[in-house]
Amino acid sequence: MNRKRPYFTIALLGVIVLGCLFAEVIMPCDPTKMNLAEVNQAPSAAHLFGTDTMGRDIFSMIWYGGRISLFIGCLATLISTGIAMVYGCLAGLAGEWADDLLMRFTDILMSVPQILPVIFIQAVFGEPTAFSMAAVIGITGWMAVSKMVRSEVRQMRRSEYVLAARMMGGGFFYILRTHLAPNFLPSILFMVVTNLGSAIAMEATLSYLGIGLPANIISWGSLMALSQKVLLTGSWWLLLMPGLFLAATLICFTELGEWKRMNGRRERLI
Amino acid sequence: MNRKTWVYICKKFAQLVLTLLVLSLVVFLVSRLAPGDPLRSFYGDAVERMSTEQQEAARERLGLNEGLLQQYINWISGAVQGDFGISFKYKQDVLDVIGQVWGNTFILTVICLVLILLLGMALAVFCVSHEGELIDRAICKIGVAVSSIPEFFAALVLVLIFSVNLGILPSGGVYSIGGGSLSDRAVHLILPVSAIVITHLWYCAYLMRNKLSEEVRKEYVLLYRVKGVSRRRILWVHCMKNSMPAIVSMMAIFLPHLLGGAYIIEMVFSYPGLGRLGFESAKYHDYNLLMVISLLTGAAVILANMAAQIINEKLDARMEYDRTEHAEENRNSCPGGGSFE
Repeated sequence: MNRKRPYFTIALLGVIVLGCLFAEVIMPCDPTKMNLAEVNQAPSAAHLFGTDTMGRDIFSMIWYGGRISLFIGCLATLISTGIAMVYGCLAGLAGEWADDLLMRFTDILMSVPQILPVIFIQAVFGEPTAFSMAAVIGITGWMAVSKMVRSEVRQMRRSEYVLAARMMGGGFFYILRTHLAPNFLPSILFMVVTNLGSAIAMEATLSYLGIGLPANIISWGSLMALSQKVLLTGSWWLLLMPGLFLAATLICFTELGEWKRMNGRRERLI
Repeated sequence: MNRKTWVYICKKFAQLVLTLLVLSLVVFLVSRLAPGDPLRSFYGDAVERMSTEQQEAARERLGLNEGLLQQYINWISGAVQGDFGISFKYKQDVLDVIGQVWGNTFILTVICLVLILLLGMALAVFCVSHEGELIDRAICKIGVAVSSIPEFFAALVLVLIFSVNLGILPSGGVYSIGGGSLSDRAVHLILPVSAIVITHLWYCAYLMRNKLSEEVRKEYVLLYRVKGVSRRRILWVHCMKNSMPAIVSMMAIFLPHLLGGAYIIEMVFSYPGLGRLGFESAKYHDYNLLMVISLLTGAAVILANMAAQIINEKLDARMEYDRTEHAEENRNSCPGGGSFE
């Protein structure tokens, strides 16, 4: 099935990503500057999305904080995809018995929802930073992709080109890079894109709950954590503005993933 | 149940034990990887106020000066006898702490599961009977969008609307102070349940829709049409019956997602359950508690898979055991299939 390229989604995502990367150009105010004269203001012409309890401009903070959120999402996805590729290929190329063992292990890890190992390992790591959060989300989120990689590799492990490479003494990583990865990448791409979205969501959730990034590192999640105390006073813009940005980004990633899933599938042979 | 089923159950039970063993080993090793002092996992920040002698004595008493393997064996032999250690924060046996709240999580999850199953079926039937039409495509688009919204944000928006602005529903807790009647508890469940259902409904509904749309293309449907059975009856009774085994195994696969969502929602709503407990134990480095919560969740998921298998066997006597390949396909063909596993 061929679906139309989702131009709108790509454009929206492009605006968000570029805006975050070049936040300095768009930001009307310094996101860390506290202007005590303008505390907790509703959205207005001067402050498009209002100000927080310390007088910081929400509009600037969103663009600035998006950088950390996107960074964590990308790094976590890189880590999880890397682990998944190596693990999946190992299982796929291994014999029946080892393959079964390795896959059972992923099943075991998958029986626990990601949020638990994430808060567990994060608690062990100590004070969260952007790097440690990305690492934790990465090393807890590779299982689904690795199963996919494994079943793809399983189908091509007996093919002549892999056999030839093995016989000529090609190492594991050589075969992975030159023969396996180019073949299975298209079919796992949609999962990678969805993982990117869920990694961003995970960071935001943890930071919102207060077990992620501390409040002095601005990300979409820690920005929304500010709204916790003022929610009952009716300062809706503190919650809704960063939340809508977050939701828009995630919806774009899911849409993109869906499109990839429909398009990335190998053509049916029969 | 025939003999085959019993063999299957025994096999699954052995698998459950093995799984829990491996899971506990993983969790144990992670908790011992804590940089600095493993004493922290037992006493938390109180370690800093202990003298060196006290620390030595505590280490001796807890067996921390032994090798990792010996420590793990000690822990396991305690666990087999029902001694999972003491929660540092509550200064109580871990099982006692969990015993006080697990029922809340159970109620929340079961209500959500039933609601998602029923609403998902309704949505799937509606979509299939309008397949390809504008309304179907619109629902699909909206569903994908809504299911990618993070749970906590959906919950907060609901709180903002119904608790802050309209003031008709409570924003957290399991009952009001001094309350505790059934209706009071039900009112407190509305927002958490809606938040979970809204964010997870499409995951199931989409799979059911695809399954049903496969089913309506089969020949027996034509036969029913020829016999003059109404479309609604064919969809709800005959097609649904045939897709039920797939739906049941899908619900079992879906359970870790749902539990993960429920844990997050509990944290947002300060709803005293396993998720809230897990959040607190992470915050206060209460590893013993966190360990048991992880094990319990894993066990629940595996048990649900077993239950699904048994239900399926009741539904369809031809059912083959170990249809994991089929289940995997389902998982992979799902929107957001890789998320919150």
